[in-house]
Amino acid sequence: MEIRMKNLTKIFTSKNKKEVRAVDHVDLVIPSGKLIGLLGPSGCGKSTTLYLIAGLLKQNEGEIFFGDDEVTDTPPEKRGIGLVFQNYALYPHMTVRENILFPLQNLKVEKSEAIQRTVEMAQLVGLQEMLDRKPKELSGGQQQRVAIARALVKKPRVLLLDEPLSNLDARLRLQTREEIKRIQRETQITTVFVTHDQEEAMSISDEIVVMKDGVIQQMGEPQYVYDFPVNLFVAKFLGNPQINVFDGIIEKGKILINGMLVGETKLPNQKVFVGIRPEGFIVDKEKTSPFQYEIDLVETIGRDTTLIIEVEGNDGSLLDKKTFKAIVDAEHRIIPGDTVHFKVKPEKMHLFDLGGKVLK
Amino acid sequence: METRNNWKAWLYLAPLLILMGIWIFYPLINAFIISVYENYLPLANNGAGQATGYTLQNFVRILNDQLFWKALGNTFVIALISVPVSIILALVISVALKSIPKLTGFFQTVFFLPYVTNAIAIGMAFAFMFHQNYGLFNYILSWFGLDPVNWIGGTSSWWAQMSALLIFTVWSGLAFKILVFTSGLQNIDKQYYDAAKIDSASKWTVFRRITVPLLSPLILYISITSMIGALKAYNSVIGLFGEELGAQPYSMITIVAFVYKFRSSYTDVGYISYAAAAAIILFVITVIFSLIQGAVSRKRVHY
Amino acid sequence: MSDVFVLNEKAYKRKKVISNIITYAFLSLVAISVLIPFYWMILTSFKTWTQIEAIPPILYLAPSKWNLSNYTDLFLTTSAGQPLFPFFTYLKNTVLISLLTTTGTIITTILSAFAFARLNFKGRDTVFAILLATMMVPGEIFILTNFLTINKFGWYSIYDQTYSDAILAMTIPFMVSVFYIFYLRQTFKQIPNELYYAAKVDGTSDFKYLLKVMIPVAMPTIVTIIILNAMGAWSAYIWPAMVTAEDKYRLVSNGLRGAFTDTSTGRTDYGQQMAAAVLVTMPLLIVFFTFRKQIMRGVSRSGIKG
Repeated sequence: MEIRMKNLTKIFTSKNKKEVRAVDHVDLVIPSGKLIGLLGPSGCGKSTTLYLIAGLLKQNEGEIFFGDDEVTDTPPEKRGIGLVFQNYALYPHMTVRENILFPLQNLKVEKSEAIQRTVEMAQLVGLQEMLDRKPKELSGGQQQRVAIARALVKKPRVLLLDEPLSNLDARLRLQTREEIKRIQRETQITTVFVTHDQEEAMSISDEIVVMKDGVIQQMGEPQYVYDFPVNLFVAKFLGNPQINVFDGIIEKGKILINGMLVGETKLPNQKVFVGIRPEGFIVDKEKTSPFQYEIDLVETIGRDTTLIIEVEGNDGSLLDKKTFKAIVDAEHRIIPGDTVHFKVKPEKMHLFDLGGKVLK
Repeated sequence: METRNNWKAWLYLAPLLILMGIWIFYPLINAFIISVYENYLPLANNGAGQATGYTLQNFVRILNDQLFWKALGNTFVIALISVPVSIILALVISVALKSIPKLTGFFQTVFFLPYVTNAIAIGMAFAFMFHQNYGLFNYILSWFGLDPVNWIGGTSSWWAQMSALLIFTVWSGLAFKILVFTSGLQNIDKQYYDAAKIDSASKWTVFRRITVPLLSPLILYISITSMIGALKAYNSVIGLFGEELGAQPYSMITIVAFVYKFRSSYTDVGYISYAAAAAIILFVITVIFSLIQGAVSRKRVHY
Repeated sequence: MSDVFVLNEKAYKRKKVISNIITYAFLSLVAISVLIPFYWMILTSFKTWTQIEAIPPILYLAPSKWNLSNYTDLFLTTSAGQPLFPFFTYLKNTVLISLLTTTGTIITTILSAFAFARLNFKGRDTVFAILLATMMVPGEIFILTNFLTINKFGWYSIYDQTYSDAILAMTIPFMVSVFYIFYLRQTFKQIPNELYYAAKVDGTSDFKYLLKVMIPVAMPTIVTIIILNAMGAWSAYIWPAMVTAEDKYRLVSNGLRGAFTDTSTGRTDYGQQMAAAVLVTMPLLIVFFTFRKQIMRGVSRSGIKG
């Protein structure tokens, strides 16, 4: 079931009459049967978008379609969606079984079928032993699986998850995100989940949608968006450690950072931001490359070494300090104080104009 | 951790304990003692009191008194009818209040008015409204083509009087319950209602299977405290019927009124013992009711 | 499964509007039911006897037609040499009692709640549990013995009770409220421990901490307690009736009931009765409207935590 959003807008008005456009004229198509990650910093509008799809929030402008059906004015209980809340929202006074049964009872599903489906769902999420427990007797991860079961039991057209992993501890997070992927693969339900953790989104999504200030920045396969960001924001949001952004300039086909040559281009002369991924630095053993820095800190973690360079801001103020990180092989045995010459992998370098848009 | 400042704490508690010692603990024990005194004259012996012995006859006397059973019956009717009715009404009103977009504060204030008033003053207003000829209630009945009822006139039936008393009791009891339920409803996480919407629950299902269960601890608390309060009905009877306690003398007597009736004859031999015995019976009834409610709640109340 | 889900209902919106209308109508009906007794009480107090006896009852009187004689009657002296309803005497007594009991109660409440909330001492929880248990005991049990105690203290006697005796009898037994202690203790407990530790490190004594930190922070609750307690004196009926020998010592509730029925004819002057009721109810309502938010918040919170 494909989800289509046209010109979707949601405005919140605060008490002092200030208007916030949480979602700003968004056009988005979520392909059927895929796992899509809605990604962005807090306040970017991703949760709002999710709740608009669910129908729990009413849009100010725009339309929403599930397949060929327009659901713009349809109330949430009639849209056929399953929603997993960030805090799971499991009814505390009902057992796991009753929680999962609840939607089926409301949809007047026949009793024996409802019971059978409940057991199937419990098995799908691996909780068939816990059916008679109450939510407070379960761990966070288990509660979430109940929430997923409850959402899926009514065979919804669309499954929505609001920050599904943020309440789990680190170990559980890895485990659970694989679970989500597995369940989605098995059920083939169009699934949208919201997260602020780019690693999470990138690891399991079929496609990611990056949002900022209510506007979609880019949509695509995770690796593609990582390798070909359309703007500075997307480039900085994906990738850990963050992409290094240098102030640079293009002069006569040469890309220069602080006068140092880092690469060549056919673009016209202009001031640019040069984004270089940490893994895009190669140590020049011959020490001939003009692109060099004195290393301030070195962190070695077995396989890789991270070289940390601290540079003062453009106006020389200490407050404006920037930190650059380069990840290189550990074999180079570099220590703080060394001056290292770098070569840059061209595919790991991205040029942006001063407005943040990528330059090809 | 904090030191165990034993003696200082007792210093802070001293006023409390002294006052409670005189006016709460001693009377509590004394009530039991008095109730088993025989022929007790409390003010004889220069105030030390004098009795001829110990006996359980006081209790027997009470239990044989027809007026006691009448009082018991009246009190039970008041408690067993007014409490459930007012709780259900208060619940419905609170839920209704929650669902309207505007004017919530206005309604809440209006609904709270009965709590701030003097039961006797309002009782008198009600008494006048129940007047057979000039009363407002009969006037309203006449709008529906019904005959006027003799609510509290000299020849009115027990049913009419009790109905009037119940109407007044429910009316007075709504304010506190509505306030507490409204607060409780606000404390229910909105997420459960969102989840219920996604789960396609109808409004009635939401009320029955989510709101009420989540509110059940509060409902239990109100239930117990209201029941205890209803068993102590007195001011409302005075307000509605005056010192005669009914259209016919003592027709609406309650247990508490019964206790006071004996107390007022304290100079007569043994009468205050009867009062004490009756009060203790009331206490026992209160405890039993609370225990029953506690037991019932085990199954129904969800924490 | 998509046939289970119905789409695009404008009818859904219409249903919502209708249900809102019904809800408002219901709530308005309840509101009217709540207000009618007050309205009727006030209206009747301004009616003349003939208007009161009118059948069908007169539902509305323009203010210009309001008759004040019921009110003035109350202050006329009867053959007994006393005004029919010595409102100001009752008022004075009630306010005095209210002030005294509230002062006493708030002092014991603050000190006790502090001890239970903040101090650590052996037997604390047991004592507190016992106090809570006393709340379950019907007041009538205490009243019997307390009446005898009042007698023994010499504060009550049919013949020669002085005014101060009566005041003592009506206030001293009521300087304590376990309920308010419970309520204030809740509030005190919400003050973070860190504040106490910091104050201790600064060399503050417990009492100073109570005075300078806990009381100011808990002020809303304390104000609520003061207001609620003061209002409570207004409804006192049975105890004042029991321990006062003369009418001029009594409180507002006491004079109300019997005063307006002519015992010979059995006829009650409803106009005067309602006027007195209005006088008694008005001060409370004024206090309520002044402190509305405080009172309602305080009562609801005390109910929730219970």
